[in-house]
Amino acid sequence: MKPHRRKMLGIILFIAFGLSAAVGLTLYALSQNINMFFTPTQVAQGEVPAGQHFRIGGMVKDGSIAREADSLSVNFVTTDFASEVPIHYVGILPDLFREGQGIVAEGIVDAGGVFQASKVLAKHDENYMSPEVKAALDAAGASAENHSAASEGGSL
Amino acid sequence: MWLWFAKLGSPKWFYELSSKWLPWLVGAMAITLAVATVWALLYLPPDYQQGFTSRILIVHVAVAGTSLAFFPLMAVAGTITLVWKMKLADMVAKNAAALGAWFSFITLATGSIWGSVSWGTWWEWSDSRLVSMLFQFFLLLGVVSLRSALEDSDKAAKACALLSIVGCINVVVIKYSVEWWNTLHQPASPVSIESGSANGPEFWIATALMILGVYLFMSVSLILSTRNEILRRERRALWVQELLHESD
Repeated sequence: MKPHRRKMLGIILFIAFGLSAAVGLTLYALSQNINMFFTPTQVAQGEVPAGQHFRIGGMVKDGSIAREADSLSVNFVTTDFASEVPIHYVGILPDLFREGQGIVAEGIVDAGGVFQASKVLAKHDENYMSPEVKAALDAAGASAENHSAASEGGSL
Repeated sequence: MWLWFAKLGSPKWFYELSSKWLPWLVGAMAITLAVATVWALLYLPPDYQQGFTSRILIVHVAVAGTSLAFFPLMAVAGTITLVWKMKLADMVAKNAAALGAWFSFITLATGSIWGSVSWGTWWEWSDSRLVSMLFQFFLLLGVVSLRSALEDSDKAAKACALLSIVGCINVVVIKYSVEWWNTLHQPASPVSIESGSANGPEFWIATALMILGVYLFMSVSLILSTRNEILRRERRALWVQELLHESD
């Protein structure tokens, strides 16, 4: 390789590595802000400043959904299998909202320790299967819900 | 080895070789895309949670995955332009930017439509996957505008090459955003060879075919636009003149 070409390649590599390092360190430093939500454990440990508007992400605890008959008001508990946070929400829930589903809620914790959500979004995990497969898995006793819940819980 | 490399950089050689390859590539593309589309949109089993909405994801995943290939491609072409000053590399890179912007746009659009149904939102500014993909779209538009803003085509090629190399960092961020940070966007699915399990063959074979088809579409589009660029830039070259007279 001719010297001027080697020099040019060196400059390019230097720029690429330098910028990658700079971007990498910046993103690492900002990671708390880039994370979309806090987990129930983080909330329980007081990592969220009091009175602040934030997002919480976790699974909807089995058997925790309580709807009011005459309004769109709904209460449920979100969990990461270590801590739990009760959530109150008034509004239309996404199609995928159900027990055992990963959700992200946006709102504020009130004086009673209940998370007053202004928005609830449903997460979809990385597993796709047909209704027949799901039924077969359920019949086999290996509840896919628990399975995906466990893998979700690991990544939350 | 260096002779082969120098030959590869010759627009005339590329034009002739691509003439031979193009019919095969177009044929393979048409068959793959047709099979994948019919399969994905008519026969793919529904997801137990989303129902038939999951079919949108076949297109989304294929286009999104392919859109990540543009910056690395442009960066390789850019490095060749900067170091070896090969004209052909820049002709490829020039058209890749606009095509990549389209791929990014389709990724954002299909993802948004799917999200509106499944997540309950069209867009979330707090999700790093969504925002980094939007950033790639703007960055590619930036490369397109940078080239048209600079009148000296040599300078424009160099500036675009540098921006393309820098843009590769964002591709890494897009790819790993779902692993590094918690997001609304789901991570990439592991595939399972076993039929009748989560992410079984009935789901991913259609996706794999669609990915192959979209990659072929990208290649064909790039080759066609590069051929046009060759004819435009080399219009005074003897071989192009002869070629044009032949077709008269």
